[in-house]
Amino acid sequence: MLFKKKAKPDAQLSDEDLVASLQRAMDADRFGVLYDRYTAKVYQKCLGMTKDKELAHDLTHDIFLKAFVNLSKFDHRAKFGTWLYSITYNYCLDHLRKKQRHQTTEIKDDLLEDGGPEDRYEQELLSFRADHLSSVLDALEPGDRAVLLMKYQDELSIKDMMEMLGLSESAVKMRVLRARERALAKYHSLYPEER
Amino acid sequence: MSENPFKIIRSTDQPPGDLRKEVMGSVKLMMLLMRFIQLFVADPAPAMFEKVRLAGRTRNKNVENGTTDGSEPTSKET
Repeated sequence: MLFKKKAKPDAQLSDEDLVASLQRAMDADRFGVLYDRYTAKVYQKCLGMTKDKELAHDLTHDIFLKAFVNLSKFDHRAKFGTWLYSITYNYCLDHLRKKQRHQTTEIKDDLLEDGGPEDRYEQELLSFRADHLSSVLDALEPGDRAVLLMKYQDELSIKDMMEMLGLSESAVKMRVLRARERALAKYHSLYPEER
Repeated sequence: MSENPFKIIRSTDQPPGDLRKEVMGSVKLMMLLMRFIQLFVADPAPAMFEKVRLAGRTRNKNVENGTTDGSEPTSKET
């Protein structure tokens, strides 16, 4: 054919088209388009999880590099954004868990067993003052913090969380429930006067 | 109804400007490494050894047939 149809500029391609083209042939500029689309979200997520700008910078760098190396494994079943967020969450979690391995505090499970209805916990959690919530999240284990941020900050569906965490529906729901209960227990221990 | 406190504490900081340069630098280095591996490791030159073996085999045949100048032996029997 004499006149080839001019290809769309990279910036106009959808995430999935960009990824498909990167899976056929590596191209740093095309990956740059994906980077520009998602860097703020990934960085903010890392910052939200770590509360440390320098660490968030390093983690964001590593997450994009990890995404680039594993791009061939992306199977287009989920959206690219969901896939990238799952790398982000899991990478941040791994990092924080390694860091806090010896700083974890156990909360007795029996405190969690005799709770009231789920909604009451949720309403109580969502009525925290922002600065109190920030302190509570800082005091929680990284895994609990991550699921609470996914559920209440990013408002991810249970299905998305199942994909990101690689867990069943009931396991995700249980994690959210436990994280919420631990957050409330932490809140009451940090701010007993608010009870 | 009060606003969701999780939304209030959401970070709005923008990533530092030098981060893009760092990431793209690492990506290019990674591409270079992947190409290198593709060229020299993932395709471990079996073809080269095959050629060496075949050349040796041809030479042996030539010696058996009494020709050593590298030309294909002619079959006198047929």
